[in-house]
Amino acid sequence: MTPPLLDVQGLVKHYPPEGFLGGGTVQAVSGIDLTIEAGQTHGLVGESGCGKSTVARTVMRLEKPTGGRALFEGDDLFTMNRRRMRSVRRDMQIIFQDPFASLNPRMTVRSIIEEPWKIHGGVGASERSDAGDELLRKVGLSPEHANRYPHQFSGGQRQRIGIARALALNPKLIVCDEPVSALDVSIQAQIVNLLQEIQEERGLSYLFIAHDLAVVRHISDVVSVMYLGKIVETGTRDEIYGSPAHPYTKALLSAVPEPDPIIEASRSRTVLEGDVPSPVDPPSGCRFRTRCAHATEVCATEEPVLSDPGVGHMVACHHAEVAVSL
Amino acid sequence: MSAPLREDNPLLTVRDLTVRFDTEDGIVNAVSDLSYDLFAGETLAIMGESGSGKSVSAQALMGLVPMPPGRIEKGSISFVGQELVGLEENDWTNLRGEEIAMIFQDPLTSLNPVFPVGWQIGETFRLHRTIGRREAMRKAAELMDRVGIPNAGKRARQFPHQFSGGMRQRLMIAMALALEPKILIADEPTTALDVTVQAQIMDLLADLQRDTGMALILITHDLGVVASVADRVLVMYAGRAVETGRAGDFYARPGHPYAQGLMGSVPRLLSDTDRLLPIPGHPPSVVQLPTGCSFHPRCALADDHCRTSRPDLTVYGDGSRQVACFKAETPAALRNQP
Repeated sequence: MTPPLLDVQGLVKHYPPEGFLGGGTVQAVSGIDLTIEAGQTHGLVGESGCGKSTVARTVMRLEKPTGGRALFEGDDLFTMNRRRMRSVRRDMQIIFQDPFASLNPRMTVRSIIEEPWKIHGGVGASERSDAGDELLRKVGLSPEHANRYPHQFSGGQRQRIGIARALALNPKLIVCDEPVSALDVSIQAQIVNLLQEIQEERGLSYLFIAHDLAVVRHISDVVSVMYLGKIVETGTRDEIYGSPAHPYTKALLSAVPEPDPIIEASRSRTVLEGDVPSPVDPPSGCRFRTRCAHATEVCATEEPVLSDPGVGHMVACHHAEVAVSL
Repeated sequence: MSAPLREDNPLLTVRDLTVRFDTEDGIVNAVSDLSYDLFAGETLAIMGESGSGKSVSAQALMGLVPMPPGRIEKGSISFVGQELVGLEENDWTNLRGEEIAMIFQDPLTSLNPVFPVGWQIGETFRLHRTIGRREAMRKAAELMDRVGIPNAGKRARQFPHQFSGGMRQRLMIAMALALEPKILIADEPTTALDVTVQAQIMDLLADLQRDTGMALILITHDLGVVASVADRVLVMYAGRAVETGRAGDFYARPGHPYAQGLMGSVPRLLSDTDRLLPIPGHPPSVVQLPTGCSFHPRCALADDHCRTSRPDLTVYGDGSRQVACFKAETPAALRNQP
């Protein structure tokens, strides 16, 4: 069997206390496993502060992990030598939420999308102009745009430039960190469709990180739900959205309003009490227990591990069987 | 306007409201010829994307459009018979907070970091009602309790940074409701919040509205939030109202191609969506609006008439709907084809 394209095992990322007032270590990611198969989209959802973006940044080696492994085609990204890393970097690209902040304002679009070739090679200097035009067309821009600067574009167009740059080296994996959440609804759909078209054509994989549960449902094959640095539930798209088993997943899904007043009038909503606890001092045992209606003593003392409670996918909850039936 | 929506008189009547901003790049047409009514106890959602003019139209209701560079070029805003356009700053004091209150997307910027929150909520009473400090603090704690802040008596003495985003929005709501206004304007009240907290805040607003009978103007870009709370919907595009009507009718059969495009753009949570049907292109520059219908460059149905003349809101479907589109009667089967 070929190994998965990306196999993250026990990833931990802590940030040391900041500033002279101290505070504690921020436990942003506390041991998560995650695999992405070739050609697949793995959606990672959760609310702000759950650690989903930290996962993206750590896997991309933009941050140094505190612990764990991330195997890319079987090789550990965290321990591989520089030379191997350099070649793996071609295969892994990232696009960000704010395309403006990730595009150099002093570079023309042409130099932005040709830069990967200058660094990694792959396209000779004489062919770059044509290849650049081709890339621009691929992402729905025109070659006339090549000589303009990022500020001359709208938010959606900037995200297209970011995607063109990510595609330049024909990567196997693109990490998409909230790629559409800064965009207007009508533009979001354009970008989502573009990402899907590119995937159908090139067979690449996405790690798609977002807080918008409807967008994640639409684009993902596999979905993992994060809460306070942990994955609490993972399964196929249909398993997570069709038969969620973790109380947090259920509450999250029930909180999203559907754009249809008839459906809305008939839905019952599980409103979670309180706020997400601080990742500096997460609750003992199950991290969700402080907001969970089903929490019992065991939830405070024992940390639930991801296992299948008989629903066909993995859930980290002591009471998942009960929660399913509710 | 078409057939009356209700027998009673509206609380608020907006007619031909036009707001412009003079900027270095030219004149920004923020809001153009906007007209609507708001009745007691109802929730009107003003929906639009960035640059649609939805927030500026709300600021005008509170006398908060910065002038200059802004100016209300024409139109009228009438609050139970009183004209608000051109009101002196002094006269606004009796309206803001008392009759019309507003909450914003980012509560932190609206709270003073160096005063206890109870003091800030109590300030409303001290300015508008002649009551003492202690009494004001007590009433503030009462309000905080009402909006669901636990340990209100103790927390009233804490500072804004000691509250989470959701709790800060509750503080803003407490402050807005202090003087029991007849209208609450909520400008993207949950956009900065997580979805589980958003649900808490929307529930709270619905509760308070039921108890107080106030009218709510909800400014948002979120089609889901609108569907869950709005009685009526007003869709803005490039500074103009392009569609208005009852929420149920609107969602069942949006009339304007832009509104139809929005519906096709959002994936659903509870069902599979094959392929999204986005609106091509992007919103126009508010400095240089297209001729004719502002939506024509992105519209599959546009013809020469649309490129040269601007459609007004006209009755669509039954009497409660209005749509500003020459093609609004085109059969649904022909729409959304790129």
